[in-house]
Amino acid sequence: MTESLLMAAIIILTLGAIFSLKDHRIGFAASVVSILLAFASLTSETYFFGFFVIAIGVLNLITLFISENQIKGIDYAITAMLIFATILVIQTENFAVLIGTFVLVSVPTYILVMLSDREAKLDVGIKYITFMVFATIIFIIGAFLVVYFYKEMNPSIYIIGYVLLVLGLGLEVGIAPLHEWVPDVFSAADPIPISIIASIAKIVPFIVAFKILIATTNPVTYSITMFAAFLAVLSMFTGNIGALTSRELGRVLGYSTVANMGYILATFVAIVKPEFIYLAISGALLQLFANSAGKIGFFTAIKKEGVSAPFTYTLALSFIGIPPLMGFWSKLFITLALVYSGYVWLAVLLVINSAISVPYYIRLARELGKGWGYGIANIVGLIAVLITVITFYPPDWFVQSVKFIIETFGVAL
Amino acid sequence: MIVYLLLPIIASLLAPFLKPKKATHLISLSFLIPFFAACFELFNFTTTEIPLLSFSPPIGEFYVLIDPISSAFGLTVCMVSAMVGYYSFPYMLHRFEEMGLGENEYRKYIVIYGLYAASMLWLVYSGNFIMLYIFLEISLITSFLLIYMYGYGNRRWVGLLYFIWTNVAGVLTLIGFIVIAMDNSTLAIKGISAISMVAWLLIFVGMVIKLPGLGPHIWLPWAHAEAPTPVSALLSPLTVGLAGYILLRVYLIDPSFIQAYRNPIMIYAIISSVYAGFAVFKQMDYKRLLAYSTVSQMGYILIGLCLGTYGLIGVVIQYMSHAFGKSILFMTAGGIIASYHGLRDLRKMGGLHEQIPSISNAALLGFMNLGGILAIGMFGEFFILRGVVDVFGFEISTVPLIVAVVFIFILSGWYSFYTLKKIFYGTPKDLERPKISRYLDVPLYLIGILSIIFIFPPLITVLLNGLKAIIGGGT
Repeated sequence: MTESLLMAAIIILTLGAIFSLKDHRIGFAASVVSILLAFASLTSETYFFGFFVIAIGVLNLITLFISENQIKGIDYAITAMLIFATILVIQTENFAVLIGTFVLVSVPTYILVMLSDREAKLDVGIKYITFMVFATIIFIIGAFLVVYFYKEMNPSIYIIGYVLLVLGLGLEVGIAPLHEWVPDVFSAADPIPISIIASIAKIVPFIVAFKILIATTNPVTYSITMFAAFLAVLSMFTGNIGALTSRELGRVLGYSTVANMGYILATFVAIVKPEFIYLAISGALLQLFANSAGKIGFFTAIKKEGVSAPFTYTLALSFIGIPPLMGFWSKLFITLALVYSGYVWLAVLLVINSAISVPYYIRLARELGKGWGYGIANIVGLIAVLITVITFYPPDWFVQSVKFIIETFGVAL
Repeated sequence: MIVYLLLPIIASLLAPFLKPKKATHLISLSFLIPFFAACFELFNFTTTEIPLLSFSPPIGEFYVLIDPISSAFGLTVCMVSAMVGYYSFPYMLHRFEEMGLGENEYRKYIVIYGLYAASMLWLVYSGNFIMLYIFLEISLITSFLLIYMYGYGNRRWVGLLYFIWTNVAGVLTLIGFIVIAMDNSTLAIKGISAISMVAWLLIFVGMVIKLPGLGPHIWLPWAHAEAPTPVSALLSPLTVGLAGYILLRVYLIDPSFIQAYRNPIMIYAIISSVYAGFAVFKQMDYKRLLAYSTVSQMGYILIGLCLGTYGLIGVVIQYMSHAFGKSILFMTAGGIIASYHGLRDLRKMGGLHEQIPSISNAALLGFMNLGGILAIGMFGEFFILRGVVDVFGFEISTVPLIVAVVFIFILSGWYSFYTLKKIFYGTPKDLERPKISRYLDVPLYLIGILSIIFIFPPLITVLLNGLKAIIGGGT
């Protein structure tokens, strides 16, 4: 049943892409139908995860309406591929499929990044693609080394694998010190495609890395965890200080992504504490969702030169981590997971970082928030805000569902 | 009870659809009903928990905690919020006119105002530290927005100053709570048995910034002076004192930190109170003056916290008396601003009793509360003094300490009458006699009357017996 639903989703997606050459709205409709089919393939434990992915995915598809690009129509299908991969990754335990989903969220963004209203941005594309190809290769090599050498208890190869995997992940999503491309690409490319790269495309790499690392936990992991913690701290500070000192809004958002990826990478230290891994993963996923909703809202605001002020302020407050918005719960869960894993210093640095990020988020909210308004950008803003305020009801429901999800978190070898 | 607690939230969401006057009545009424409910709970000595939802460890259950302490704080929050609600109606319309905004702006104002007051009400009934933190932060954002949008002077800068300081305070406290969660694997107040020194230190430092003590107090005079007056009249009487409430709750679980560092905290609190008390004399702006007086009065709360069971009873009563007194006073400041087009400079005031007798008499009631004269503040000072003698003993060596505490009480009375004379008595200045809207003086008297009837039985006996039952100690 699951397989046939996924197959049907792919077929509809392909047909939609072809017919979208006639009318781009066909592409949109086919994309929505196909991701809903993919959603239907989920089991009841993963509904909440799927719900957030679909919400963010649909938001991405709506934002594409604003963009007049070279491949109008097919861009929906390309984005739907990312959503499809994100739904697939939570269900699979197969190593090859995991790596496949990783590639599946990477390659479509090569095309997306070049799209723009006027001519294709080749220079941005070349820069981005070079980095991404490199990231994918390092990540895959790392994943192979980790998976095939942890059982033989060959610590040195396992450690090389772990380091390569984390570095590959870092290059892919933008974790310092491999974040160089992020501010440049984020400010140079068109805001709409970048909002997709900054949102839905970030989820899969983390889940793949989590699944592989949890499945291969062994005594050596304890000693190498510090590496992830170190990169996380570096990334938080680089991101926040970079954002505080940048003027251009695209760059600020780029650095904000670097900081957010640092918060999420920090949860990797909890991998060695199986009893509290659910807190770490709940925190990481909610942080990814909150980051996605916020980035989509802000980038759309940049594109349309402003959306309603209440929306930008809510998104900014969520980024800062003010309860009861989603950004608060995610950081709370991450902090709790860090404290329980014995990384109190990391938790304290994370909280300090979230405090120093206040000025630039308020600045973003002020510069992008323009009174009240209607129109497609405001619809996007409204949906993004709805995603972040869903945690007005304390998200124990999400934590409970994550507890079920992580029971199947692993890699069949 | 939970229905009564939900009323203010529902009312705030409905209010923008009504005309300003009706919206005001709706909001104020929605706070008056829980006020009577809280009084009723106090009379019944209700101590109960209403479960809301369960949460995975280490966060634990969310529930509404009702006991005489939360009833005492709750009724204060409700009374002041309701009265300031009535008061906002003419005041804010006047402010919008000044800022060149239309009457429609009132819709936005009343929602944020209602949520701000409701978040403080929920805070005192929170049975879980995370829940408490959430409401603390909601009250922070809403008050920040009110300052940022409708404040005086350099309101954006002041708003950010306020937001960053109090956010740092909140975050430190949150880390403290997380450390508690690690030790106890729950954050439900009933489930916590031990609070480590690290957690205590973080919560204490955070709350001293919020309270504020001497040193981190620099944000307060700005925020309280530049906020629109109805917001000042909640910010200063209610919000900052809630830091005292949080410390009280933590103390009741595990007093180890305060016991270990009693003397340094006591000395710090006394210095903080005396310094701010003298600073009052230097202020030439009425609202800034009141803000410094808040810093001085919050010193009482820190002092009370160091003084065992009597001191804790003193903390609760001091909170109530300060809330009643200071809200009246800020409203008198607002009354003068509204009557004389933004008059705040003490040098231009004098003999105002001739022109605005109703506001002047209300100010007298307010200062009676601050000075602890024939109002509920009297009991607060009594219990704090009793605590000093109880904890430190009555010997030659402790006489300087007792003298210092008594001196603080005298200092409060002293600056109260100094201010009163400077503004309302003395030679009248040549100012016209304005017509004062009833909304600008009746609420002040209602609070004043409540603060006086609270010193008579049955209210005072019920309050003291209830607090005694929870905190322990004598009457």
